[in-house]
Amino acid sequence: MLQEIYLNKLKELPEHTRKFVGLVVIVIIVIFSFGILNAFFGEGEELVAKMKKEEERIAQEKKLSELISTLPSGILVPFEGNDNHRLSKEQYKAVCNATKIVSQRAVMGANLINFKAHKIYTNNGNKIDETFVKWDEENNKCFAGFVLSGSNVGINETITISGEALSFFNTGIDTRVYFIKNF
Amino acid sequence: MKKYIIYIILSFLITTSVSARKTGCEGNCDNGFGKWTYTDKTTYEGNWVDTKKHGQGTETWPNGYIYEGEFKNSQWSGKGILTFPDGSTYKGEWTNGFMNGEGTFTWSDGRIIKGTWVNGKLKE
Repeated sequence: MLQEIYLNKLKELPEHTRKFVGLVVIVIIVIFSFGILNAFFGEGEELVAKMKKEEERIAQEKKLSELISTLPSGILVPFEGNDNHRLSKEQYKAVCNATKIVSQRAVMGANLINFKAHKIYTNNGNKIDETFVKWDEENNKCFAGFVLSGSNVGINETITISGEALSFFNTGIDTRVYFIKNF
Repeated sequence: MKKYIIYIILSFLITTSVSARKTGCEGNCDNGFGKWTYTDKTTYEGNWVDTKKHGQGTETWPNGYIYEGEFKNSQWSGKGILTFPDGSTYKGEWTNGFMNGEGTFTWSDGRIIKGTWVNGKLKE
């Protein structure tokens, strides 16, 4: 009985009001449906946190690439004593954080001090498994290195070589580690 | 329009031929004295025997390593000085590209260590 009264009241409403109420109901249903789907399949706060992290990373990379674009192309070093461009402490840290590549000559130079690394490197077609460049907050220094693996006198071995990254090469597009001081 | 295309092609050809000339040999790199420039800008200037680095020479890497001394079969062998990019040096004997024998290592901060080296390591 009560239901009928309400239905009649609704029917008595003007056409545009009824259409508006219908639209609001549909919107509520859609939002509610998405809410249910998100509860089951969505990542919610985790996804938001991930997106925030990614945004921060992009902003950081943009800042670093802007700083690198102000540096001259060629060899960059954090120490005095040669004709290469000397990096300030702030620039050194920024270049370290922006650098992802370790050049082949840097690897070959580091291998001059490590016979086993040299053997693994040359015996396995100059293959480098992994490279890394990290800023050490404790020592205020940039460390770089690489991992080599492969056969050495018939035995499979893996070796990690690391040292202070004391020279970088700025191509104008990116920066590369040019000298690893592993002695 | 055609003119511009011809100019572009010509300048491209000239540039590539000039850059190609910058690599390779200047002098006699078979048997004699010559300078070889590699594509990565590493250079060797010195004596050649049967197209191999043999005798006195200087090898300069683009990242700042400089070896000046004796070569045998294209390898650092004999007496030589290696200067590292940070200014550290090793002066002494070499075999097959490694510090082998008597030598003196001088760090860039002035510290000096003398001794006998085996495959790049100081013998205890």
